[in-house]
Amino acid sequence: MSEPARRRLVFAVLAAALPLALLSALSLGSVPLSPLGVIGSAAARAGLGAPAPLGDVGEVILWSVRLPRVLIAALVGGGLAVVGASLQSLFRNPLADAGLLGVGPGAALGAVIAVNLGWAQERFLALPLSACAGALLALLLIYALAHAGGRPSLSGLLLTGLAVSAVAAAGTSVLLVATEEFRVRTVLFWLAGGLEGRGFEHAALAAAFVLPGVAALFLLSRPLDVLSLGEEEAAALSLPVHAVRIVVFGLCALVAGPVTAVAGSIPFVGLIAPHALRGLVGPLGRHLLPASFLAGAILVVVADLAARSFGQYVELPLGSVTAFVGAPYFVLALRGQEGRE
Amino acid sequence: MRLTPLATALLALASSASTASAAGGDAGGPPRRVVSLNLTADELLVEMLPPERLVGVTRWADDPEMSNVAGRVPAAAERLPRADLERLIALRPDLVVVSEYTDADFLRLLEKSGLRHHRLSGLASLAGIRAAITDLGQLVACPGAAARLVARMDAILGELARRLDGARRPRVLYWSDPHTAGADSALGSLIEAAGAVNVGRELGLRGIVPISGERAFVADPDVVLLTLGSGAAGSLRRHPLLSRTRAAREGRVVEMPNRLLVALSDRAADACWWLAARLHPSLVPQALPAGGNR
Repeated sequence: MSEPARRRLVFAVLAAALPLALLSALSLGSVPLSPLGVIGSAAARAGLGAPAPLGDVGEVILWSVRLPRVLIAALVGGGLAVVGASLQSLFRNPLADAGLLGVGPGAALGAVIAVNLGWAQERFLALPLSACAGALLALLLIYALAHAGGRPSLSGLLLTGLAVSAVAAAGTSVLLVATEEFRVRTVLFWLAGGLEGRGFEHAALAAAFVLPGVAALFLLSRPLDVLSLGEEEAAALSLPVHAVRIVVFGLCALVAGPVTAVAGSIPFVGLIAPHALRGLVGPLGRHLLPASFLAGAILVVVADLAARSFGQYVELPLGSVTAFVGAPYFVLALRGQEGRE
Repeated sequence: MRLTPLATALLALASSASTASAAGGDAGGPPRRVVSLNLTADELLVEMLPPERLVGVTRWADDPEMSNVAGRVPAAAERLPRADLERLIALRPDLVVVSEYTDADFLRLLEKSGLRHHRLSGLASLAGIRAAITDLGQLVACPGAAARLVARMDAILGELARRLDGARRPRVLYWSDPHTAGADSALGSLIEAAGAVNVGRELGLRGIVPISGERAFVADPDVVLLTLGSGAAGSLRRHPLLSRTRAAREGRVVEMPNRLLVALSDRAADACWWLAARLHPSLVPQALPAGGNR
């Protein structure tokens, strides 16, 4: 099969799989809903059929609880996968992902502050907004510190991120120890990643950063392709290497921070989706980024469905589900890469 | 507490909707289908409500180690293994009773799903527990039942205070490796109502917070209070410092059943009596006073 034909097939499969995954996730759960009923309910909302085909209870579950949750899962997965693909091009390393940015520990610090001070119990959206602020402050700090001595190298940026992450993680630990026992559970659930109790406002918060951020990264796919050739080659092709690097790094953090704020830590999604697709659709950003978005969305929608379906007494943490899948994949990918080298 | 400008801006961005005592859903008439999402509410609602009006409780309500109403929960009430919003909606409750620690985002989702909720709060003191029982009784239109629970609680605590008047107060340290109870905690209130001094409060601690072994050792409590069956007794015996405290060496370690330690309902008075009977055996008998029996 030629590469363009294979690419078309991959996009067709992903484009068909995403609605299927969404419909499954909307239909399955603690209270099963008929897939036809779900479609009928959506049609009714669009004025195309009889109202409330799922009954009062089913309609409330679908439109108040399940739909925002599934939308967030798709946004989170898509956003993280595009961030992963962009960082893999930026760092010229197929195993890079959002964990390198250093915004996760900043978000965690923001979240634990919100819980420690009681805001999370008292104020709607206080926890995700605090986490979001923590992530963005960490990003600003990384930028400011990295540029303190002039233009930083890529490794300088990474190491500064590592230092800021370490400080944020230390702050999180100190606050966790000082937080009342019962409140700690809220933080732990958030740190483990999950979408329980998220509504349309959380979806809006994620969408406000993910959709423009991902669109901007799509627009930067060509410079990213050039950058993936190497810095010297990119500079020889008149690419403003430092500016592109900073913009891509910033956009990735602006997507990953709010995603982490809304969903907690969801590891490996940004690694698996683009890494698996690179061999199928090719390394060019204009193909890889949209395909990664679709695959990441499918991955997290399905992982969240698994997380809320398996545990009777506790909902499995979404981050654990993606880690159970992602960690073995990472090891296999690492061995494959070492074998090629 | 003073907020930084950043925090103030952050909170201004967040919705100003703080959680009212009972919010969301249709508030018309007394609730007919009540669901509890925490053990304290399970205990109170089993005592207050006619069985057919309690449609959901936590799975802990049937556990005799955790619950003071095990065996008395209406069979028809759904046992909820977790705060699963979808199952909750399917029960069609007209009131959901949540805990002080339920986060605001979950409560907003309850409201958006058309479910009215009530937060049990102020349970860090016996006075707060009394007020919470009265409030809940009003809300579920069972003020008489609530008043009986409060009267029973007051009868036990009143008799306890009478018996302990002028008694020497031992210094008690609650220890749940590595946490202890300071001021503003239900456990601290329990210790004090049982005729003891709470070492956690002496040390300036607030709430349920960790305490270092060195600090606990230097505090030299007269009695160490543990949770029965939690493994805390073994941890105490193995602890390099706490095992050498006077209390541990002389066997003044009290292990309290979990169902009493976590009781933030009217049963908190039973817990006070139980502890007082161990701390002051010559003044307080094991059996509850006449007004305390159901």
